[in-house]
Amino acid sequence: MRDARLEFRCCYEYRSGFRLDAEFTLEGGICALFGPSGSGKSTCLSLIVGLLKPQAGAIRMGDTVLVDCAGGHCIPSHRRRIGMVFQDHLLFPHRSVAANLRYGMARSGEGTIRFDEVVDVLELGDLLDRYPAQLSGGQQRRVALGRALLTQPRLLLMDEPLNGLEEALRDRILEHLQRVHEHWQMPMLLVSHDQVAVRRLAEHVVVLERGSVVDQGPVNQTLDRATLQTLSTHPGPTNLLRIEQVHQVGDHSAGRIGDQPFYLRGRVPSSTVYVRCAPSDVALVLEDVPVISMRNHLRGSVCDIVCVSSESAGEVVYVAIDVGQVLWAQVTPSACREMGLQKGTRVVCLIKASAMDLVT
Amino acid sequence: MQGFWLDASEWQAVCLSLRVATVAVLCSLPPATLLAWWLARKDFPGKSAVETVLNLPLVLPPVVTGYLLLVLFGTQGWLGRVLDQWLGVRIVFTWRGAAVASAVIAFPLMVRAIRVALAGMDARLEQAALTLGAHPIRVFFTVTLPLARHGLIAGAILGFARSIGEFGATIMIAGSIPGQTRTMPLYIFTAIESPDGIARAQRMVIVSILIAAGALIVGEILERRARRQRAMR
Repeated sequence: MRDARLEFRCCYEYRSGFRLDAEFTLEGGICALFGPSGSGKSTCLSLIVGLLKPQAGAIRMGDTVLVDCAGGHCIPSHRRRIGMVFQDHLLFPHRSVAANLRYGMARSGEGTIRFDEVVDVLELGDLLDRYPAQLSGGQQRRVALGRALLTQPRLLLMDEPLNGLEEALRDRILEHLQRVHEHWQMPMLLVSHDQVAVRRLAEHVVVLERGSVVDQGPVNQTLDRATLQTLSTHPGPTNLLRIEQVHQVGDHSAGRIGDQPFYLRGRVPSSTVYVRCAPSDVALVLEDVPVISMRNHLRGSVCDIVCVSSESAGEVVYVAIDVGQVLWAQVTPSACREMGLQKGTRVVCLIKASAMDLVT
Repeated sequence: MQGFWLDASEWQAVCLSLRVATVAVLCSLPPATLLAWWLARKDFPGKSAVETVLNLPLVLPPVVTGYLLLVLFGTQGWLGRVLDQWLGVRIVFTWRGAAVASAVIAFPLMVRAIRVALAGMDARLEQAALTLGAHPIRVFFTVTLPLARHGLIAGAILGFARSIGEFGATIMIAGSIPGQTRTMPLYIFTAIESPDGIARAQRMVIVSILIAAGALIVGEILERRARRQRAMR
């Protein structure tokens, strides 16, 4: 997908003094800009779509130069053919859903992305005659997505696509986004401060912090590194484990992390799920205990040890264990000393099934 | 024309006032809308200077505005000369002069009403429309105008009412020629000065009140209908 290659190299300084100075290249597929709020993610989107003009730098998409400050060249937003789904949707309140969807078709006409197909894929059939004020948040997001798609964009930008939605809705929107990507091979770039959203949707991620790119690469490794980096400033890491090949076994479900078995309580909706658990719910032992009430035993080796002191909890040690994915455990400094934990130590992690949250 | 309890000259004044006010509003509504949009959406050096000049007619005595217009549009004034020589249009001491005076006096009021409405709508809707491939002109007509419609209605009503009442600037640039430039306020003033004019003046005062109230009611109805449409959605 040569046409979807996006080269971004821009400086933009707000009057408030915040300065974005970022450079990255995306090769298509689903990519994400990740970082805390205020790191400049949305500014990048505005620059790409043309609502802001960089003070220096250039943005290139495929063979097209979208903007080049040195050459004094700038394609206005309405001719860039880049779709954007805003965080607050920005549907036109005075137009019906159908008229909202058709707004961008006036220029692009009917292309490979057809009206009926969009209505079908995004399940908008029942909403066409309604007005935006009569729709729920999730419905509005789907309409905004459909409206952007119908302009036949070369690239679809999404600002916090899952923000402000209830858990159940997030899952549906994710499903719809994945469907859109598969159905039309639409390259997407999403912006999020939410690890779950990024891990579930994107293949490639660019991590932004205070206006600059601090890391980029394949999603899982990059986000693990990002977690490591922000450890010392945050209240602590959260574990998000990807469980594959999940199937029903009696009253519980069984799946795998890498080549190790993993058990979940109750029924699980799909064959790949994510679970969240707090590092304080992960216990470490040096040698495996054969019979114990905790069923999840994950073998791995310590890949990092971070000591953090906070006013509330005193001194705690976070231990990162590579069990195929990075898993964080919280231990006390004395336990850490007594166990002789250091990088490379082989340990077994025990996790209570009840301590785990299924992420949907 | 004669009817109700108005005589021919009184009818003339009423019709003239209505025509002057209508023409003044219709001609100044488009530029007032554009200027309001420009001021509401753009930041540029010298913006406060533009705002000051725009609001001058609001604070200057109308007679002074009228004098300046007379200088500008007179047959020796630079704009008046151009219009006279190139288009053969005379402004001063014609009904057109009265319309120009009304338009200039009402202009800042209209801009203000429309600007408030534009500031009240979410400007990012315009940005969203741009990203959907709509040309800025199309965005203006399909997103901005419909969403700021109540401001345009309010501006037009306000401008119309102000035009009907215009006196000072009108008498300077258009004079008070019976049947040609003697609008209702001028008619009332002239009638009061003449020995038997009290009754005429009173009738005209009543008509003025009716027209002003009518304009307000029409505006209210239009705005309520717009609001009801939005509430339904």
